[in-house]
Amino acid sequence: MSKHKGISDLAKREERLAYWLLLPTFIILLVIAFYPLGSVFYNSLTNKVFASDQPVEFVGLENYSRLLSMTIRRLPPVLDASGNPEVNPETGEPVYARSLDVLPREPRRYREAMQFSFLGNRYVVGATDRDFVRGIFDTLRFTVFSVVLETVLGLGIAMVVNTKFTGRGAMRAVMLVPWAIPTAVSSRMWQWMFQSTRVGFFNVVFQGLGLIESPIPFLTEQTWQVPAMIAIDVWKTTPFMALLLLAGLQLIPGDIYEAADVDGASKLRQFFTITLPLLRPTLAVALVFRTLDALRVFDLFQIVLAQSRYSMASFTYYQLTNNRAMGYSSASSVIIFILIFVFAVVYIQLLGGVDAE
Amino acid sequence: MKRLSVVLVLVLLATMALTACGPRATEAPTDAPATDVPATQPPATDEQVTITIATGAVGIEFELSQAAAQRYMDMNPNVTVRVLDTPDMVQDRLGLYLQFFEARSAEVDVYQIDVIWPGDLAEHFVDLYEYGARDVAGDHFPAIIENNTVDGRLVGIPWFTDAGLLYYRTDLLEKYGYTAPPATWAELEEMAQTIQDGERADGNTDFWGFVWQGNAYEGLTCDALEWIDSNGGGTIVSPDKVITINNPAAIAIVDRAATWVGTISPPGVVGFAEEDARAVWQSGNAAFMRNWPYAYSLGNADDSVIAGLFDVVPLPAGDAGSGSATLGGWQLAVSRYSNNPQIAADVALFLASAEEQKIRATEASLNPTIMSLYQDADVLASNPFFGSLYDVFINAVARPSTATAPNYNDTSTLFFQAVHSVLTGSENAADAFEELELDLQALLGYEIGQP
Repeated sequence: MSKHKGISDLAKREERLAYWLLLPTFIILLVIAFYPLGSVFYNSLTNKVFASDQPVEFVGLENYSRLLSMTIRRLPPVLDASGNPEVNPETGEPVYARSLDVLPREPRRYREAMQFSFLGNRYVVGATDRDFVRGIFDTLRFTVFSVVLETVLGLGIAMVVNTKFTGRGAMRAVMLVPWAIPTAVSSRMWQWMFQSTRVGFFNVVFQGLGLIESPIPFLTEQTWQVPAMIAIDVWKTTPFMALLLLAGLQLIPGDIYEAADVDGASKLRQFFTITLPLLRPTLAVALVFRTLDALRVFDLFQIVLAQSRYSMASFTYYQLTNNRAMGYSSASSVIIFILIFVFAVVYIQLLGGVDAE
Repeated sequence: MKRLSVVLVLVLLATMALTACGPRATEAPTDAPATDVPATQPPATDEQVTITIATGAVGIEFELSQAAAQRYMDMNPNVTVRVLDTPDMVQDRLGLYLQFFEARSAEVDVYQIDVIWPGDLAEHFVDLYEYGARDVAGDHFPAIIENNTVDGRLVGIPWFTDAGLLYYRTDLLEKYGYTAPPATWAELEEMAQTIQDGERADGNTDFWGFVWQGNAYEGLTCDALEWIDSNGGGTIVSPDKVITINNPAAIAIVDRAATWVGTISPPGVVGFAEEDARAVWQSGNAAFMRNWPYAYSLGNADDSVIAGLFDVVPLPAGDAGSGSATLGGWQLAVSRYSNNPQIAADVALFLASAEEQKIRATEASLNPTIMSLYQDADVLASNPFFGSLYDVFINAVARPSTATAPNYNDTSTLFFQAVHSVLTGSENAADAFEELELDLQALLGYEIGQP
């Protein structure tokens, strides 16, 4: 259209004016978004120490390789005197060499991040920064489970409060209570409920019901830590999801359902052919929102688990304020940034654009 | 155009996500000038100077500091002392201080610093010896003065000290026929088990023998260092920079502590901090507790069910023959970026003087760092245990913060994570310490040796 020679001077002038009007916004963006981002990226290539006069050296990608270097080694089975694989008499499982002896130590020490069995062999995954690699893995696990659960539960709640019943207004307000409580407060609350002493609500109830023999230390036992975080987040954020989806549901005109009723479509059919497709744009926005939010989860992990288990963000915080490793924590920030960026792009591609017609 | 806008929105979203999760990572670089309002704003008339002290607000600390500031102002009318309230959590407080230092801010003149920080933060503080501290340094415990001395510079004047203590129930020991508190860990185990079995048989099913700090945090470093040192297992990294943690004495005592979890100590002890232990203890549900002196005055408060029913002794001994107490406590340091270091140092020395420490000791059980105060009648009247525990405070074992600076935090984290994994039963101490030794070597680059 702009190739048309007949474009009027007026239109040109308006276009130019538009650019001038946009300029302040772009400058502000540049200053508040791109400058800090650039400075984090630059710091990530140095060995800068936070709050120190130590000379800063340029170290290239050293920080990144320290954060992300991983290796997989096979753990050979331990042989007994006669050359047969040794078996643990208690569990009946074969005994393997210790990962400590198998993982490389030079030039950099690899620590065990996890073990797995594959085709009858035992393998160990070593990482130069075990905590960060675990942090990535835990954050991804946390994100997938919490977002899926929140979406399913949120959709259910949204559909309930979208129907007409007495006290619907009050119900909608009450529904939002968990979301209204600051994370710091709700985290502490749940921390108490998960305690393995008399204070712990869950342990007392489960024990009272005879479901468990002895209290489960939810927040100190490795296997329970991430599920506990997911539970807290689902409790807290489902209302937000429900609110977003409720807004989407209210956009769907009621007469479509009337028509469907006349045509004799079942409620289930109506849900899958009317509600879900029409809700898709809202669902897409809600999912992008929640996923990006969950990927940068910080407060929950920091308050409840502190240094016993990290999310990507709480690891970064720990490296910066406790270890004062500004270069190193900048590098992990950049990795979080890239990961979130990838997630966002993939989402938009999969869901066909937020603003699809 | 639509594509472009989508991409732009994405970039923005991601940027926001990043800046929100790491606000401190995106701070202006150091070359930015310190833009903070200068602490001194001399109105032309009477050269009024403002000194700001960053102090704690645990319990009545803040009120104490304000009262002390008022006393200083009464004596020095041209100085205004402002008391800044800082976070209770030690790590949060460090995070706040670091932001001041990164910006070279003159906002705060005097900092209250933890006993483990002098090595790490020395570069930001003035040498108090240059400001008249040489006259008073000899009055304080030598171990603390040494801890605060970095390369010959006194970076902090001791303010109050802390050391781990064993609290025990006098009434229960008597009830089960014990005449003296336990002197060794073996005696403690035996007494705790007997009392626990007896109390449970009497109907108190919530009763436990021994509570302490087992969560994965700095407090566990303190507790575990006491076990290991009392067993002759050294101090993780020796003062002359040798990694000594992987030795039989240390392995034996940590394996032993792991057996307490679920027997004489609640399974949840691996999630306990100081206040969790005190909650069990002060509700009368424990025979023994390891904690800091602050629990003494709280345990004797009017609302405490164990008021008058307990006492404190040094922690039990292992194979080393005598018990150990980890050194805690706080110092006052003067910022290098202060506009009035001379006056700030004077305020710090005033707050740490014998008269002021005496007030803090009598009003809040905050242990003085000045040796002569342990013979002071008023101090002993409000804290009877100070006198008998003088040796504990003077012989307290310091965490290896100076030997490992500037990597103490990482060292401590690796250490308490290793100990925690033993306590939770995921590995034994021999494997955990063998690995810890390698981790510390990779971190610090020191030699490996025996204590």
